Amino acid sequence: MIKQVKASLSEKVLLIFLILLILITFGSYFLLKDKCLFVKNIDPNKIYFTNTDNIAIMNVECGNVIIELDPITSPNSVQRFKTLIKNGSYDGSTFYRVIKNTLIQAGDIEYGNINDLNYTKIGTGKSGLGLLKSELSDEFQFKKGSVAFARKDDFDTEDSQFFITLKDIPIYQGEYTPLGKVIYGMDALEKIKSGNKSAYVLRPDYINYFKLLD
Amino acid sequence: MRILLILISLTFITAVKADEIYNLIKIPNLDIYKIETKNKIRYLNTNNDFRIGLEKNITCSRTNSTNLNKKFLLIEKNLNNYSSGFLKKNNIKYLVMCENLFISNINTGGIPDTKKRTLIIDINFNPKYFERMIHHEIFHMIQKSNPKFFDEQKWSLLNKKDFEYAKCSTCSDRLNLDLYKKTEGFLTEYSKSIPSEDMAEVFSFLMIDKALVEDKSNDDMILKNKINFIKSSLSKVDASFKF
Repeated sequence: MIKQVKASLSEKVLLIFLILLILITFGSYFLLKDKCLFVKNIDPNKIYFTNTDNIAIMNVECGNVIIELDPITSPNSVQRFKTLIKNGSYDGSTFYRVIKNTLIQAGDIEYGNINDLNYTKIGTGKSGLGLLKSELSDEFQFKKGSVAFARKDDFDTEDSQFFITLKDIPIYQGEYTPLGKVIYGMDALEKIKSGNKSAYVLRPDYINYFKLLD
Repeated sequence: MRILLILISLTFITAVKADEIYNLIKIPNLDIYKIETKNKIRYLNTNNDFRIGLEKNITCSRTNSTNLNKKFLLIEKNLNNYSSGFLKKNNIKYLVMCENLFISNINTGGIPDTKKRTLIIDINFNPKYFERMIHHEIFHMIQKSNPKFFDEQKWSLLNKKDFEYAKCSTCSDRLNLDLYKKTEGFLTEYSKSIPSEDMAEVFSFLMIDKALVEDKSNDDMILKNKINFIKSSLSKVDASFKF
């Protein structure tokens, strides 16, 4: 006859602990896999803008990013930026250069599109619209969420590539042509994939679409 | 295979040096010391040794904060002699402060780079000449930014016919920076090295002690002409500039 052995209290506690541990492990795995889980997606239709002329919406993996453009500071550059947004040049453009917690860069139209990514030439592509003169401002402050045209080492080499700062970078003031500021959606930008050891990213995140509000 | 190699190389590129200051002037290990300044010059501190240049032949060490705070007062005092407009015209925006600056193993007070708008200064440079050295190096940036106003051939013609400069500033033994008692066209031994160093010496002495140099030039026609050359050329760069 088999005698039934009752589990002691400590054995029951241990069992419950193990079950909880398994649940937490599996739960965390599925929760952490979704990098956008805690990112609030901004619906531009629910925001009241006093002036809609200079509002751009960039959609990335974790949601919408709302940018207010600044044509007063950089009229020609903002005009170029709007042209590229309107004709869909930035759709599919990858964030190929990401310095973690510092900045993200996209806008290489020629070699940086997710559908035709060229790792050997990325960062050197052109828009075909020609280079622009730098429009520098001693007033525009490079706070977190500033959007600006990237350039080569020399001034007057802006074209289509742009970057967004993920922190205040005061030393950029007067160095880069400002385009505007992110007014909503920084959370989504902070989730953009960065490289482990390099500023250049393998299989980078990209812009789903970029459009003007009007 | 090619794609695989590219992927591997991208994955194993060494640590990211692409911080925001490096992005601008391509010198690593710097941080901001002071950037809110009247003449818009930005002072940067070296927080770790760096090695730069095409052949990594320029080296400089991190600063000691006590030493830096002391030397900075002198640096800023001297830089404040220049307006923001003047500095902009001459491509001077960043001043990097470090200790024990060497170029190809030769100790130097400063290294100007007009392309990056940066002047690197060795804060351990001989204190006797430290302040004058700052202006000397700034002159090199002025000259590089405006070569047409500082023609070295025209300058050389101001000397006696039998005088010859050395082939380069570091390939002669004319290195002493002390002011000559009897000038005879040259303020220091280093002035005799090459024309651009001669010009920089005249400029730096005018910045530090204009009265003394002008007094010496009363008995030295060559020196007088050199001073006039510098003054006249600088007025073409910036009419509002005054010593």
